[in-house]
Amino acid sequence: MEDSPSHDELIEWFSAVALRQDRRAFESLFNHFAPKIKRYLLRQGAPEHHAEELAQETMVQIWRKAHQYDPAKAVPGAWVYRVARNLRIDRLRRQRFYEVDLDQVAEQADEAQDHDRATDQIDGEQIRARVAALPPEQREIVNLAYFEGLSQSEIGARLGLPLGTVKSRLRLAFGKLRKALGEEV
Amino acid sequence: MSIRHHPDDATLVAYGAGSVNEGFSLLLAAHLERCPRCRRRVTETEVLGGELLETLEDSPLSGGGFDAVWARVCTEEQSPAPAAAPSQTTTPPTTDGLPSVLAAHLPGGLEDVRWRTLAPGIKQHVLRDVDSGNGSIRLLAIAPGTTIPQHGHGGSELTLVLKGSFMDQIGRFQAGDVADVDVGIHHQPVADTSETCICLIATDERLRFSDSLSRMLQPFFGI
Repeated sequence: MEDSPSHDELIEWFSAVALRQDRRAFESLFNHFAPKIKRYLLRQGAPEHHAEELAQETMVQIWRKAHQYDPAKAVPGAWVYRVARNLRIDRLRRQRFYEVDLDQVAEQADEAQDHDRATDQIDGEQIRARVAALPPEQREIVNLAYFEGLSQSEIGARLGLPLGTVKSRLRLAFGKLRKALGEEV
Repeated sequence: MSIRHHPDDATLVAYGAGSVNEGFSLLLAAHLERCPRCRRRVTETEVLGGELLETLEDSPLSGGGFDAVWARVCTEEQSPAPAAAPSQTTTPPTTDGLPSVLAAHLPGGLEDVRWRTLAPGIKQHVLRDVDSGNGSIRLLAIAPGTTIPQHGHGGSELTLVLKGSFMDQIGRFQAGDVADVDVGIHHQPVADTSETCICLIATDERLRFSDSLSRMLQPFFGI
């Protein structure tokens, strides 16, 4: 099993795909992300062949949208995650997912400029360490929300917990991550 | 106009996780259009999503793997098709202050809504073209001084003020503010100025095990 590519490597691959339609860089992105995206779709309840097909389609979209990727605005993993999440909601749940176009709203207010320019100094290692260190009961709920697409009410029903408990655990887990991002919680 | 009341962090995480229903995502996107603070937080929930993706074990692709994807990419290069957008991206807010994400559902703006009277001083309009599962999404117009009867919730409920303002036990909510209310919380909003208060209200799925209970608690808001 090879090591995970570094943040800088990922950005290099994205740039090569966006600027030069570089096949080798795209293959590197594929090798790293496609198997994880497929696992993500399986966890979301897609049957094997469908997960395979949608993982491929996610990669096609990544190729197609690579020119929109701006390293100053998003970390590579978060950007890939958004593409996979949106396709998953569209195809598996057959619902629309409404998002805001950050490029367009950023022009409206000066303060927004700072706020939207999120994440160029993210320390992936530290976030990963924080995620790994989450208490099991918080981690479980984070996983149910992200990987099984369960709403808070559904998580409560699944685990037999009051909605308030589900919310406070999600809030606590997110607060720990925000500290790793250098935010004041 | 500054926004004072934001969705709970847990709600923003659920949005970033893609585990909210279509109605919630519409309401939250309408809030995000105007709220840099929450946009930043949503970006953080997506960073978390990216890191969680990294923690997953690989499920190797069978079949042609990369070759299949490369073949598709090459075919598309030759006959470039307009990219189909799986998500609904919004344009800037319209001039009458209606969030653009919502304007698409209300072609005539707030002036042209087909209201249905629910109770004296309270009118509603359900957005039927939004798939909210067992929940719902609707506009509510509350006449000045009118109080919404005390009610509980069978799940989560989000309220976004579009016009005017209301007061409840938590505080005063004005345009752009979101009230994020839990199950079991009883609140009693009152439109507190001389202007009609127009809100967008979304509910999520009701808890299956407490369906009869939630029906009892929702005397006339449930659909």
